[in-house]
Formats: sequence, structure tokens, C-alpha cells
Amino acid sequence: MSENIEDDLKEKILNLAKKNPKGITDKDITVAIPELTSSELVTAINKLLQQGCFDLYNQGGSLIYRLKTQANKQAVKGADNEEKVVFNLIEEAGNKGIWIRDIRIRSNLANTQLTKVLKSLESKKLIKAVKCVNASKKKVYMLYNLEPDRSISGGAWYQDQDFESEFVDILNRQCLRFLQQRADKIKNNPRGPIIGRTQSYATASEVQKYITDLGISNVKLEVEDVITILNTLVYDGKAESSVYPDGNRVYRAIESLIPPPGLVQVPCGICPLVLKCCSTGLVTPQECTYMTEWLE
Amino acid sequence: MSHQLGRAVSEILHRYFGEIVQQVGKDLFTYGSKPISMIVKTTGLPRQQVIESLRTLLKFDLATFEPSVNDSIADYKLLPDNVLLLIRYPRYLLQIKSKFGSEAELLVEELLQQAICTATVLLVTIATKYKDGKESNINVIQLKDTFVSLATAAYIQQAPVAELKEDCEVPTLVPVATIVPDLDTRALIQAVNTGNIADINDNVYWRVNYDRFHQDFRDDLMVKAIARRIDDNAGELTRVLLQQMYLSMPAWAAESGPVPVTELRERCADKPLISQHINHYLKVIEESGAGFIRRYGEAGGGQYSVRVRHAAQELVHAALDHLVTERLGSHAARIFRLIRTKKYIDEEDIQKHAMLPNKECKELTYKLLEEHFISLQPMRKAASAGAMAKAIYLYHIKLHDVAQSATELCYRSLHNVVRRAHHERALHSRLLDKQRRVRSIVHQMRLRGEPAQNIVDVEETLTPPELAVLQSIEKRLKQLNTAELELDKTLFILKWYFMYPQ
Repeated sequence: MSENIEDDLKEKILNLAKKNPKGITDKDITVAIPELTSSELVTAINKLLQQGCFDLYNQGGSLIYRLKTQANKQAVKGADNEEKVVFNLIEEAGNKGIWIRDIRIRSNLANTQLTKVLKSLESKKLIKAVKCVNASKKKVYMLYNLEPDRSISGGAWYQDQDFESEFVDILNRQCLRFLQQRADKIKNNPRGPIIGRTQSYATASEVQKYITDLGISNVKLEVEDVITILNTLVYDGKAESSVYPDGNRVYRAIESLIPPPGLVQVPCGICPLVLKCCSTGLVTPQECTYMTEWLE
Repeated sequence: MSHQLGRAVSEILHRYFGEIVQQVGKDLFTYGSKPISMIVKTTGLPRQQVIESLRTLLKFDLATFEPSVNDSIADYKLLPDNVLLLIRYPRYLLQIKSKFGSEAELLVEELLQQAICTATVLLVTIATKYKDGKESNINVIQLKDTFVSLATAAYIQQAPVAELKEDCEVPTLVPVATIVPDLDTRALIQAVNTGNIADINDNVYWRVNYDRFHQDFRDDLMVKAIARRIDDNAGELTRVLLQQMYLSMPAWAAESGPVPVTELRERCADKPLISQHINHYLKVIEESGAGFIRRYGEAGGGQYSVRVRHAAQELVHAALDHLVTERLGSHAARIFRLIRTKKYIDEEDIQKHAMLPNKECKELTYKLLEEHFISLQPMRKAASAGAMAKAIYLYHIKLHDVAQSATELCYRSLHNVVRRAHHERALHSRLLDKQRRVRSIVHQMRLRGEPAQNIVDVEETLTPPELAVLQSIEKRLKQLNTAELELDKTLFILKWYFMYPQ
């Protein structure tokens, strides 16, 4: 009989909590269910807390009970307290993930125990370990269903922690081709150089559209990704960038100020042995094989 | 003044003046400045030969002298930079030919060969030389006019005059202001006809003004750079801007004084496309990454100044970019430029911005460091942090140092190329001699009008395989020669950069 009453009471409290997703206080409960004695309330709440239906918060001196979301409740069902604590920590970290060391410090668990907990959570497919791109040894944990953050996964340029340099190179070349198609507009433009220059500029979003239309990438490239690629072109000296009055960055293909200088046209300029080259000895200009090949 | 420069200079002296002058030049280069007796001692050459060599060096302005401590003897010093100019002679000739025509080329060529010469001797020699030639339209009057215009345009100038100071036995060379000469045409014609120039009293000596040529080369570099970056009209406008700059400033000033747009507009009146969009062009040139010009002020419809020094810097950057690309690949060049753009940058940031795999990026960065293209600046954290505090290492580029090592590389390459050409010549000296002999014999036979059969007989002494070898040598020497000229162009850019103090 008393169990029935208790279940009833729990139901009522849960309903109340569902109506107030921000959480309820003791006062809210007594107002909603006036016939409740304080001792009954305490046992009911304790039961509910034990079952993990509520999160307990302290707000301005009064306790607040907030209903846990259904998914989470299910996720940790059948888990012990340690697992719950660890799971909560990982959940808090979001898609940035949390480092194992930080979990250990914050959960106060021993190392061996923690690894066990993490393993069991992993085997339940509740969390996953993701390798960080900028520190290959560092593993971070996050909820299983989350997409890792860019700073962790490295964005479009990484496939399983490996940098895809070929992909970058191809994109780099395609971007350059797009810019070069426009570059000649500045030359002897009958409408004046400024209009010519404007015509030869391309914004990053234009380039992004071109790349997407080409269909060379099966990953969706964001404008920021294209900007990184365009910046490598600037560092290659094949493009220059400028800023439009509206704040957009624009890019234009350019040529180097001078043709390749004489120094790189002779074999000595690019010779790996040039510092060992003397008038006498094994490496001499008279007997130089590179030079002989070049002269043929 | 480096070891590499010494090697290059020595090879060049050998090529143009032979072994003895080379020895003297090398000795002077190694020891700085020293008197004749010391040169005799260290080189072991007879005194007369040393004096002859010094005379040659001094005549071609490859060496200079100054009174020694005791004022009665002179110390001689080599001018290595001027020796390097010897390989630039073909460029001077080409430049003057395209600007003033072939007569001017003849004049400058003769003057370069004579080093210093009076106007009369110069004109009469050329006129006599080409009197009987097929291009008989060269006459002394035209030559004289060309000479005067060359002098006016300062491509040639009066040679410095030796002056003897009191209580000093060594004369000093004093530069003289060039006065455009007034030559007596009639006397010149008579001298050409009689072949006697003793009658004309002319003691003003002339020589080529290299600096004026270099100014042309520099203008060309700047104009071409702008034309590559924007278009030919912009290049043309740069040229006009530079010409305008010379009116008010010394030609090699680091930054020109302001040039008003109105003046430029007047100068460009005959070029509709430029004058129509002149403000736009100036803006585009200013905003192009090169930064050759700068808006100075708003007075008089806008004023612009030319940043010559900055231009030199940009061109050196461009040359170095090419060098890095060729030596270490385009990815290394990307890192090189990245470091330059960011001024000081951390290794991790390089990886982030260069979009290269970590391993490759590190390797290339270290290679750049190894070849002294970039430098490393450690930044220590405050000492209190203890052992945990690692120093941060920032990469950056010391342009002056990098340019210096590029110059060294140029000297090295120049030496190697000249040396190789010398070697090729020496290797086939017998064949080359034979060819020369056959040619001179054939030439004389033609002059004597001997039957064609005999000429063919002599020509056939060079067998087909020999001819093939000769052809290949000629090709090789030509390639080496081109390489020399190209190397010289690179050196020119670097020298121009070093002209302005850091």
C-alpha cells in the first residue's frame, strides 16, 4: 500500500519536473502537492536521485532538482557511480573532447580504475576516443554521437589524422587556374586599370563555388577552407590578396617581379655541391658533370 | 671583399689581360694596398712587368693609387667591383645601340677598348677604320655629332686629371666636370684624310660613364617589373615618373622627391590610354604588392614619389624566391615567403599556414636554416618558470645576410663559369688555333683574289669531324658567355640593394 503511494508521489514529482525543465525546488513541490509531509518528500526525492532521474543543483542557497534528459538517462542505465561521473565529465566537454589526464584529475579516480571505466564505456558505444591532429599521442574522449571539432580533427584536410597533401596540392592548382583565367583582364583594359583590376580579383566565395562545381572534392569545403588554400597561393607568390571596402578578402593571380635570375639558370646556382667546389680537388668546375650535362 | 670575389676577379683578369696581370691583380686583392716593390717581392715577377701590369690596371680604372706613408711612393689598390664590370661590356654596347644607334655603339666600343682617349683620336681612329669598309656611310661629321650627344647625355665623361700637390710626389686624380666639347669639324676631316692627328691640339681625355648605364639598367628593371605585374602602360608611366625624378634628385637617391600628377599628365599627353586613366594607374601601381611608388601628398592634384630603395629590396626578394624555389623546391619557397610575410613565426604556425604535412614542413624549414636562408631567434621565458619553461624559437629572415650569401653564390658561379670557359678553350686550343689560321689565310687569299679552287683547298684542311667539334665548342662557349651575362644581371640587382645602407 505504502509503495503504491510512493510511486504515485514519484509520478507527481516527475510530472512537475517535466513541466519545469529549468528545475524545481522543494518549495515548488510542496506548493504543487500540499498533502505531502517533509519526511515523505525526502524519501521520494532520495529514491529519484538514486535512480538517476534528477540532477541536483544548488542555486542561491536552495536546492534545485532538474530532470535528466531521457537519452542520457538511458545511456548510463546499468552503470555504476564511477562510470556516471566519468560520463558526465566527458559529456560536459562537448565536441572538443577531454583529455584522460583531465578526467583523472577531475574525477579523482585511480589510473587503473579510470582506464577500466573508460573501456567499459567505450565498449558500450557511449563514448569514443579521438586522436588529436596537432599532437599525435594525445587522445581525447567525447560522446559517441558527436562530430569532433575542427581543432581536433583538423577539418577537411585530414583523413584519419593524416594530412592529405595531395588533395591540398590539387586544390591549390585549381584555385590558381581559376585566378589566372581572370588575371589578364588588368592588361591594357580599355576601361582603365582600376576596373581591370577589379575584374581580375576573385572573392573566396567565388573560388569556393568554382571548386564545388568542379566536383573534385567529396568533402564539403567551407569558405574558410578555400581561404586557407588561397593563402597558400599568396605564400607561393602566385597570387596577391587585397581587401574590398566591404571587408571581403579578394585574390588575384600575379607573376613574379622578375624572370628567373641568371643565378638559377646556371647549374652552380642549384648545385648541391657548390660549397664543396674548389679550383682543385674532386669537385672542380673543369670536371663538373652537372656543367657538362648542361652544356650538351 | 671575400675569397669568392677574389677567385672570380682573378679569373676575369686572366681572361682579359693574361697571366701576368692576373698575378698582380690577385696579389693586390689578397694584400689590400701595397707599393710596387712589395708586389715585386711577393709575386716574383720582374719589376718591369709589374709596372706594365699596374699601368694596364690603372688605365682601365681597375686599380687606384694613393700616396704611401712617406709621400714619395704610391700604394696600389685593386678595385674588384670595377673588374667585374668587364663582363658587363656587351650589355653597355647593346644598351647604347638601342638608344643611340650603331654609330654610338662604335664609339663606345672603341672607348671601352681604349679605356681613356681624347675625342680627336677616338673619332679619327673610328673614321679611318671604317673609311674603306662596306658600310661607308659612317663619316666623321656624324660621328662627331653622336659623340656630342653621348657627352650631353652623360654616357661618356671626362676622365679625372692627375694633379700634383705640394710636398708630395704622388699625383692625385681629381674628377673634372664634363664640358660638352666643341670639336672643329674641318680639322677632323683633314686628319682623317691625311691620317695625321698630331696637328690637332686636344688634351681632354674621355672615358665611359658606367654609372649612367647602370641607371638605365635599373630603370629597365623597375619598368619591366611593373609591366609584368600590371601592364605595359603602367610600365611606361613608371618610366616617365623616373625621368621626372631625375630632374630634381640625384639618380640613386633612396626615395625621390614628390612628383606632381599634373606634370606627369603633361608628359603623357601623347599616350591617350595613360593620360586618360593616369590617376587610376598611379593608384594601381601604388597598391600593387611591389610598392614602388608612394602617394606623397595631395598638393597639386596629388604627388607621388618613387621608392627606389624599396624597389631594390622587392627585386632582391623576388630573386631570392626564385633561388629558394630552384634549390629546395616550391614548398620551401612557400615557407620562405610565409616567414617573410609574418616577420617572426613559430615552427607550429609555419605548419599551420603552409598547409604541408608536418614532417615535410619541418624538414624544409631545417633545410632553409641549414642553407642560411632563414635565421632562428630563441626567446627565453622568464627565469622563474623553472625547468618547465621551454624557450620559444622564432624563425625570421635577415635579408641583408641572405642577400650577402646569394652574392657569394653568384661570385662562385661566375668564377666557375669563367673557369670552365677557360678550360674548354685550353682543351681545344690546337683546333681553335688551326681554325684561326685557316681563316686568316683564306681572308688574305680572298684579298689577293686567288682562284676559288685554291681557297676551297685551304678550307678543306679542316676535316668534317674537326668542324663538328669546333661547332660544339662554339656552342658551349656561347652558352657559358650568356650565363656570365645573366649572372652579372643578378649581381647587378644585389649590388643595387647593397648600395643603400641597412
